[in-house]
Amino acid sequence: MYGRKGYQLLKDFASGEKGQLKPFNSKLFDETIEECDQNHHLLQSLIRKMQQEDLDVPNNRNADHYGALIHHLSLMRNKRCLMAYVYNRAEIVRDLAWRVGLELLDLPSEIQEKLTSLEKEYFKNHSVALKSYMGKVGIELNVDMVPPKDPYIKVRILDDIDEGIVLSDKTTNFARHSMHFLKRTDAEPYIARGQMEELTD
Amino acid sequence: MGIFKQREREIFDLMASSSEVGGSSADYETMMSTSDVELLKRAWRNEKAAPEILQYEGALVERAKEQIELVEETIEDYVENGKDPLLVSLYQMDLDRTQFLLRSYLRVRLVKIEKFMFHNLKSEEAERRLSEQERVFATKCADDLVKHFEETVLLKLPENYQSVLKQSQISEVDDMVPQPHLDTFVVCRSNNFVSLNLYEEGESPETVEMERGDLYFIRYKIVKGAIESGQIDLI
Repeated sequence: MYGRKGYQLLKDFASGEKGQLKPFNSKLFDETIEECDQNHHLLQSLIRKMQQEDLDVPNNRNADHYGALIHHLSLMRNKRCLMAYVYNRAEIVRDLAWRVGLELLDLPSEIQEKLTSLEKEYFKNHSVALKSYMGKVGIELNVDMVPPKDPYIKVRILDDIDEGIVLSDKTTNFARHSMHFLKRTDAEPYIARGQMEELTD
Repeated sequence: MGIFKQREREIFDLMASSSEVGGSSADYETMMSTSDVELLKRAWRNEKAAPEILQYEGALVERAKEQIELVEETIEDYVENGKDPLLVSLYQMDLDRTQFLLRSYLRVRLVKIEKFMFHNLKSEEAERRLSEQERVFATKCADDLVKHFEETVLLKLPENYQSVLKQSQISEVDDMVPQPHLDTFVVCRSNNFVSLNLYEEGESPETVEMERGDLYFIRYKIVKGAIESGQIDLI
């Protein structure tokens, strides 16, 4: 049945958790594109048939016309399904740029596996757009995502960060599981990446 | 005892002056002109609640940026001169709050641009509301997305179906552009007495009348014009 593969593709997307990506389903994707091709060939052959019978193609309403119409509609539906799939994944990719960070390498590897190389390209391009905007406006826009309550918060380190951290007012050695009292703006990027967690009690 | 009393007075002055325009005694000048902060808060609330993008408050943003810088310098000064750390952290918190407002305002706008990028570039009304840099951002965003679509899907499809904005060559209008839902319900409060048409021109002219301070839960379309002119605020 025409359109079933497109439907399955979208169901696959929807069955993931909201806001989370599943690995790009290339198999279904390519099959849907093949179906589009098929539809197009059949569409063209039907139109040619009508032309050979010397019928007025746009206005004549016979069985072939309706056959061609079905192929056309199926093609459009598949196109919409495919574009919806790509568009929704791109939306999640943009969301990742906001939440986690603008560098591709900052994304945890589980997420990187699920993106195709084209999506990674898109992520990079989008980061460039965001960075250039932030540069022109002169304000960093991906810190301070939560309204500030306390300037300092308690955090516990989850990953081994060691020496790689730059703080605005002190330098500390960050061993795993140690707890520190940091400025919120300093800790935010690490919390977003999952390397620290905030202790609220 | 005397020290405590003096601190109390200083802190009290600080609290008092941050809620009235024009600052108060001692060597404490008003942090950020409070009317600007109020304006920024109002712009931020409206932007957050509205389904479409609103007019860019360029002058307000510029003023806010300048004042934030000024306050940052003042704080650095105080820290170096060893001024009372409690006062400094109060200044710092106030600064953080204002910075958050500014950043969130710009962020909400960017998210809306990302969401409706094609619509914003097509509709003249929407384009007018973007700042210069936002327009550049929107164009680049749209170009990126078009390129992404083309490489992933469109170039693999048959010829007449390769457009991003139209379903196929036969479509007469760009039928694949997502548009903001102007019919969503919003909560709003009126600043003046306002009388609005509930329906489109030409249909039965039922009006709703809002007194000053009334809260209404109403479709965005109806109050759109009044928000632009400042008569109604979204909550």
